[in-house]
Amino acid sequence: MCPALIVLSTLSETYWGLNMSVITAINMPKWGMEMSEGVISVWHLNIGDPVIEGADLLDVETSKIINTITASHAGNLRAITANPGDTLNVGALLGVIASNDVSEEDIQVFIASRSNDTSNHATESAAQELAPVARQDAEAKPLAPSSPTLTAASTPTTSLGSLALGEDDSSVGATVVARRLAKDYGVNLNNLNGTGRHNRVTKADLEQAVLAAGGQLIGQSDSAERPRPAADDSQVKATAVARRLAKDLKVNLLDCRASGDRGRVCKADVEAQAARQQTPVPSTTGQSHIEPPAELQTEIIAMSGMRKTIARRLQESKQTAPHFRVNTDVCIDNLLATRKLINASNRQAKVSVNDFIVKACASALQKIPSMNIQFDGENITRFQHADISVAVAIDEGLITPIVKASETKGLVALSNEIRDLATRAKIGRLSAEEFQGGTFCVSNLGMFGVKSFDAIINPPQAAILAVGTGEPCAVVRNGELTVATMMSLSLSSDHRVIDGALAAEFMSCLKGLLEQPATILG
Amino acid sequence: MSNFDLMVVGGGPGGYVAAIRAAQLGFKTALVEKSDLGGVCLNWGCIPTKALLRGADMAQSLKHAAHFGFDIGTPTLDLAKLVGHSRNTAKRLSQGIEFLMKKHNITVLAGEARLVDTFTLEINNGTECSRYKADHIILATGAHARDLPDIHVDGDKIWGAREAMTPTKLPQRLLVIGAGAIGVEFASLYNDLGSQVTLIEAASRIVPVEDQEVSTQLEKSFRQRGIAVHTATTVQAIQLSDDEVTATLTDHSGNHTQAFDRVIVAVGISGNIEQLGLETLGVHTQRGFISTDEFSKTNVVGLYAIGDVSGPPWLAHKASHEAVICVEKIAGLGAVKPLQKNRVPGCTYCRPQIASVGLTEKAARDNGLDVRIGRFNLSGNGKALAIDEASGFVKTVFDAHSGELLGAHMIGAEVTEQIQGFCIAQQLEATEQELAHTIFPHPTLSESMHESVLDSLNIAIHH
Repeated sequence: MCPALIVLSTLSETYWGLNMSVITAINMPKWGMEMSEGVISVWHLNIGDPVIEGADLLDVETSKIINTITASHAGNLRAITANPGDTLNVGALLGVIASNDVSEEDIQVFIASRSNDTSNHATESAAQELAPVARQDAEAKPLAPSSPTLTAASTPTTSLGSLALGEDDSSVGATVVARRLAKDYGVNLNNLNGTGRHNRVTKADLEQAVLAAGGQLIGQSDSAERPRPAADDSQVKATAVARRLAKDLKVNLLDCRASGDRGRVCKADVEAQAARQQTPVPSTTGQSHIEPPAELQTEIIAMSGMRKTIARRLQESKQTAPHFRVNTDVCIDNLLATRKLINASNRQAKVSVNDFIVKACASALQKIPSMNIQFDGENITRFQHADISVAVAIDEGLITPIVKASETKGLVALSNEIRDLATRAKIGRLSAEEFQGGTFCVSNLGMFGVKSFDAIINPPQAAILAVGTGEPCAVVRNGELTVATMMSLSLSSDHRVIDGALAAEFMSCLKGLLEQPATILG
Repeated sequence: MSNFDLMVVGGGPGGYVAAIRAAQLGFKTALVEKSDLGGVCLNWGCIPTKALLRGADMAQSLKHAAHFGFDIGTPTLDLAKLVGHSRNTAKRLSQGIEFLMKKHNITVLAGEARLVDTFTLEINNGTECSRYKADHIILATGAHARDLPDIHVDGDKIWGAREAMTPTKLPQRLLVIGAGAIGVEFASLYNDLGSQVTLIEAASRIVPVEDQEVSTQLEKSFRQRGIAVHTATTVQAIQLSDDEVTATLTDHSGNHTQAFDRVIVAVGISGNIEQLGLETLGVHTQRGFISTDEFSKTNVVGLYAIGDVSGPPWLAHKASHEAVICVEKIAGLGAVKPLQKNRVPGCTYCRPQIASVGLTEKAARDNGLDVRIGRFNLSGNGKALAIDEASGFVKTVFDAHSGELLGAHMIGAEVTEQIQGFCIAQQLEATEQELAHTIFPHPTLSESMHESVLDSLNIAIHH
């Protein structure tokens, strides 16, 4: 039996120790301040599958969005402790990555120890994370599953834990390679004596220290990182071609239908399964292209994670929040003139009408703080800053990046920030805190020529502004018929926390700001 | 509403690389090209000239065959075939770019692009104009050869690079004006193919951007090959007659007239900034190139410029590198660092080849740096002697205190394939110690790189 080093942390962390293999825990991450639990959506790997660093492990759905957890370390996926549909707290164990030379017994001991660990939450102390605990003796009795925590195990006199401690080591002289490796080992460079030129810490210095501390060098333990079939399909009846093709396409015969003669899995079954797994069928096989039956005129499209989230959240919003709407038309001729002036005078600016609306909303939310809120069904939280979500359409659906503290930002800075957020939203490079939260939302379909529309509130927000297109209209002013550029605004509010008069006051304030854009400054 | 997340104007090594990187990152991307994908580099520059120079190398080897015991008589050249090889190579590569655009789902729009507003391009494909909006527009329009005030490329007797790359007849007497990288490559090519070449340069030495010693060595090699080299010389006037060109050359001793069959003008380049609508948007330019910040941003929001059109060094690999940096910065990728111009290598494919990176000895000293110089002549390199290419050297310039490799200057056979060793050392901030402790394989030309480093420490073995 190989002794295993076991690690506790909020996310997955790995430490290396005395002649040991490593067990890396996959834990429920904490994405954003509000996240306390997550629901397992789908696992991308099966037990036994090899894991490369950075590989997608599983999707976890939070109240906000579905996100993918990726592997921080390589190895094999040895255990899955949470199944799709399960809801778990932040920090809870979801699965285990370890190399194949860690015994099954060790894995089970580790899982058992975690299941009894009551402090399985994000509040685990940093000190605990920094002090990995290891069993020194290869023949030591496995930890009793009831061990309250792993700290009960004996600790080597010198461990990488001691090398990990120390102050910021960014100014310690070290080669580039040594610095990168030190990060991988979790070693603080302050603890090392450099023997390189100008006493720089070299790779050799680092490795010597790791070995001296009883650690093992990275990359020398998992020579057996070979894929392992998820389940043995050697007993499944299949044609010879199907069996070979299944191997090539990494299809398990157990997953295939058996539509061939005498209940055998045939080539078509394997190809169909491969298509389901989205494994491209090698084109060299010529006739292996799968034509859909001619009579099928429809297509079933799987819901993406984002689609599911949108569907669930908006349905919930529409069903629980009593929406009511307040509409107004705004004359934007002054706004357009101001916009023209700004854009002509500043080459670093291309302020849009929507940028003005976001800025005006920020001002209005400051003037009417009762609108600058979130509501979770129990409590109303009022915010100091106007964190305005801006709806951005993307290929997979829509996302609402947030312009934080928008009332503190100048119009041009705000405009360029919105553009940057939209750019990164489209290529999926927003971080969670950039689109989670917000105290108000602006959704603009004016660029599509839409006259007006109603929007659904994005909880826990309590209101959303729907913006239509600006177009020349006949209006009566001082009894005279004249032409003005008019734009329709529709505010959807949650009547549980916002009353009609408040919404009307907000819209009136917003209308004033947009019709006299200079007042946004005040 | 935008048609694309990102549009690139120009399909050269800056533009197409920017488009691919953008597509990889998930941008809805379009590329506008008015001519052939691949730009000057691939169609009328780097690649086709290399194909021609391969012919020149072969001519040289054939001339030299007797030295190795081969009696092959007098070989003859079918110029059309050599030019054909060059054109085919360019065509093949251009089709390769087309494939890459398809593979990455990049929309290729044929036509000339003009900025009509911020985020807006108008594309004229000859029959109609269409407008496109994009959140980010990258200009990668490249550069074109500069003309002399009184001497204009006419495509007949006075050639630019394009004509020089597609000769139908070998000129007997050839004048090359300008001894920068392009000028010396053509001088070398036509000399090897059998023309009588005169090379003139206004500066006091040929390849003036290179280290002084490299210029001296190249001039010596050129003279030995029979190229007439005149430095500190300018062309006063050109007179065209039916069958020749009479050039009036001016140097310190006065004016001289000389007759030639053809003239190649290679006096530098200027950015393709015309007809782009830069004035409409008030885009800042400087001396014919678009001004940008370290991440290729212009002074106009959402507008970027990369490669030749944004200024020197005018090299394909600089353009490609800037392309990646620019796009990754737009995408908000962490850890994007600006391009360091002193780490851009330069390669010139004359014979002997020149390759260099970083500061020349003079530039380092002018910057007030305390330098340590290493030199090694190829005459002490076994492989160079074995292949009978023993003229040339490797010169290294180190900071005497930090040991940083400030510059490396190589002239000789295959040096263009070796300079990356020094580039990697610079990028990793290796000192002369790390290079000295690196094992170079024997027998290779690259051992001279090692010896040059050792020489900077006064411990060269084969000196």
